[in-house]
Amino acid sequence: MAFSVRLEGLDKRFGRGARAVHAVRDLSLEIGEREFFTFVGPSGCGKTTTLRMIAGLETPTAGRIWFGDTEVTALPPQKRDIAMVFQDIALFPYMTVRQNIGYPLRIAGLPRTRVDEKVEKVAATLGLADKLAMKPGQLSGGQQQRVAIGRAIIKEPKVLLMDEPLSALDARLRVEMRTEILRLHREISATIIYVTHDQVEAMTMSTRVAVMDQGRTLQIDPPRTIFRRPADMTVATFIGTPAMNIIPAAVVATPSGLAIELLGRLIPVAARCHAALQGLKRVKVGIRPQSVRLVPPGPDQIMGSVFLREPLGFEDEVLVETADGTRLKAVTDTGEGFLEGAATGLEFASQDLFLFHAETKSALCCGLD
Amino acid sequence: MSRLQLYGPFALLLVVLVLVAFPFYWMVLSSFTPKEALFRPPYRFFRLDFSLGNYRELLFATEFVRYFANSLIAAVGAIVLNVVAATLAGYGLTRFAFPGKKTFAFGTLFSYMFPPMLMAIPLYILFSALQMRNTYTGLILAHMAISLPLNIWLMWQYFQIVPQSLEEAAWVSGASRLRALRQVCLPSARPGILSVAIFSFALSWNDFTFAFLLQTDRHMFTLPVGLANFVEQTGVHWGMVMAAAVLVSVPTFLLVFFLQRYLLSGLRATG
Repeated sequence: MAFSVRLEGLDKRFGRGARAVHAVRDLSLEIGEREFFTFVGPSGCGKTTTLRMIAGLETPTAGRIWFGDTEVTALPPQKRDIAMVFQDIALFPYMTVRQNIGYPLRIAGLPRTRVDEKVEKVAATLGLADKLAMKPGQLSGGQQQRVAIGRAIIKEPKVLLMDEPLSALDARLRVEMRTEILRLHREISATIIYVTHDQVEAMTMSTRVAVMDQGRTLQIDPPRTIFRRPADMTVATFIGTPAMNIIPAAVVATPSGLAIELLGRLIPVAARCHAALQGLKRVKVGIRPQSVRLVPPGPDQIMGSVFLREPLGFEDEVLVETADGTRLKAVTDTGEGFLEGAATGLEFASQDLFLFHAETKSALCCGLD
Repeated sequence: MSRLQLYGPFALLLVVLVLVAFPFYWMVLSSFTPKEALFRPPYRFFRLDFSLGNYRELLFATEFVRYFANSLIAAVGAIVLNVVAATLAGYGLTRFAFPGKKTFAFGTLFSYMFPPMLMAIPLYILFSALQMRNTYTGLILAHMAISLPLNIWLMWQYFQIVPQSLEEAAWVSGASRLRALRQVCLPSARPGILSVAIFSFALSWNDFTFAFLLQTDRHMFTLPVGLANFVEQTGVHWGMVMAAAVLVSVPTFLLVFFLQRYLLSGLRATG
């Protein structure tokens, strides 16, 4: 049987009584062998707590954790055959880089020569070969992070846990290390479980992503699916930059079937979505800024005026205000045409619209064609 | 910048230095001055009649060596026990959750505020009943009763600044809790441990109250008690008292001299 990490009804509460915090609620999922699985969500959503329970650093209030056929719920971290990279890097300040990387092997009782041999190999892969004699304090942030990763992979663990490993680095280094971690994932045969609040990291690195919010798992899917078919409005607005526009709309019945009234226009809804809209009067419509096009003003168009324009380089991020005061973000190549205050027409394809339930926020339909 | 601003601080330091250092100088000088020459005018800052007579008399005609050994045993015992107990207690206070933890931590500080005499009397009765008067164990425990509370509080503070994730990283690497404590936590808490050691030593080495009350057998006298005692016995033989004072300060000097380097290096490493 292939190795997998399985969480069954995992639940974690901190504290008791009125001040209790329900950090993770009834989480069940299975992470496959060699998967790059990411928990993503805003801070306080329970993603780090989940990771720490997998590591054995936190005891679940309820639920079970399985590594393959073995239940590890009650096992201490020492006995789980895992490795972990911490958010604050957590290198041992009094040890050299060599001692830091080799620490897990020294504990395992390997002879010094074997340890040195492996440390040198790992250091070479991570570009640290000339830093072995240094102390962590003498290294840059990126190098320290490499050492931490080296310490984690040297034991060739089955499961490699990473808790926001890049959050301490500056933006350029983050992108660099992202590539590095992906390369490592290809080279080593570990299942990587990764935690981040940065949706770009989650989307670019993972084979699958779990989006969490307030202790709940909202959606578990490959990045592409999460982006294209978000399970609910929270996921939809959390994933993607800039965030998805959300506009209220009315559901109306027309002779040719159901339609939504959005910004004063009627947009027919594809037949496959009718069932989901049954009985609803109002919905929330989501549209990604990248799907909004700005066109020269003309008849029969949604009209707006440019409220704010931020150049991004290739494209501009434009905030448009429509006649009824709704503000919409668009990412588009505006050329020189649209100055702040200028009138503009708005266009979007109905296949790019997402419909969400106005109260429960769950997705009703993705693409109206 | 005027000349006064430039040299002013140094002048001030020099004055303070003289005030602090002169008694030491006088102590050392007097200890090497023969008994007969000590009170014979003229009194000079420099004297040439160097003699080891005071030391010879101190070491061979009195029980000074005995007292010194007693003091040393008590101090070393107090250091070792304090370091072990305070380290473990401080670690426990920061790493484990148990009811009344905060109260306990503050309670330790509170108990440090009792004057020694307040504890010495009950301890006298207690140790009499346990037949622990005139023993090293009794004296060491009595010294611990005074120094341990502050030491626990100190180590509690130190372990709070050692990040938990360091230990967690060690656990995940396979290290047991005790091993992680030893290899990862303790090196980071070293400045705290050294402070505990110095404080425990100073308290034990200088203690008069407990030693005076508990150690009634003159073979068990420590230096402070012994010295006080032999001042009374022989009339005031100042040269010998000074020689004793010099020897008493030697361990203190050595301890601070060597440990302060580690103290500083500990501070650097955390920065």
